[in-house]
Amino acid sequence: MNPYSSAPSQPTLHLESTLTEQPSHHGSDVSWNSPLTSRLLVEEKERSSTIAEPTPLSPSVPSPRPIWTIFTSTFITIFLAELGDKTQVSTLLMSAEFHKPWVVFTGAATALITTSLLGVLVGRWLSTRLSPKTLDTAAGITLALLSVGLLWDVFKM
Amino acid sequence: MDWHLLGLSFITVFLSELGDKSQLAAIALSGGSRSPRVVFFGAAAALLVASFLGVIVGEGTAHLLPAKVIKIIAAIGFAVMAIRLLLPKPETTEEVS
Repeated sequence: MNPYSSAPSQPTLHLESTLTEQPSHHGSDVSWNSPLTSRLLVEEKERSSTIAEPTPLSPSVPSPRPIWTIFTSTFITIFLAELGDKTQVSTLLMSAEFHKPWVVFTGAATALITTSLLGVLVGRWLSTRLSPKTLDTAAGITLALLSVGLLWDVFKM
Repeated sequence: MDWHLLGLSFITVFLSELGDKSQLAAIALSGGSRSPRVVFFGAAAALLVASFLGVIVGEGTAHLLPAKVIKIIAAIGFAVMAIRLLLPKPETTEEVS
């Protein structure tokens, strides 16, 4: 309708297209102000297989071990350690006794999420206080003790 | 909603889990791995599935899990992670800004 409505965007688009053609090599450190160009740049970065640095959208810190490894190893170990543990037995007994399994599950699930959140918060707080090497040693000793405790349970049964 | 039963199950499980091995494992793993959020999600998911299984089995007849085998596997898992943390790593320590 208004012939001038599309006019302001036209020169900038043209400017961007000429600007993006100018850099001789990929990834020159020109600071872009337009959100469109930055989004295009991010998309272009994501499309190209050689990503020099992580995009600011991903909150993960480059860690020595991939995320899914951490997730699966945490999941499997804690799951197996909890299976047949007293928490699960008490959940089992309560749901069998009261015949309201979903209420028991909701209560137990909330409690478990809270305790693991507390544990992770404590671990993160400790990681700000201790050096990584001390922390690794302490965590390794803790896990070794847990392993010994589980074996103790097995042979006591 | 049975709030009494909800509170009872919450308090029972919360008190029995406080300082128990899964929380100690969560502390150790989140301190050691530099990505505590992932450890939290892994631990929470594992605990949810475990208690879900408890509820399901509790509704059924008996608990027919080979507990010994499972605990031995879990012990091996903890031991492997402990060894991985305790052994000196070659180049993996990265500075996180």
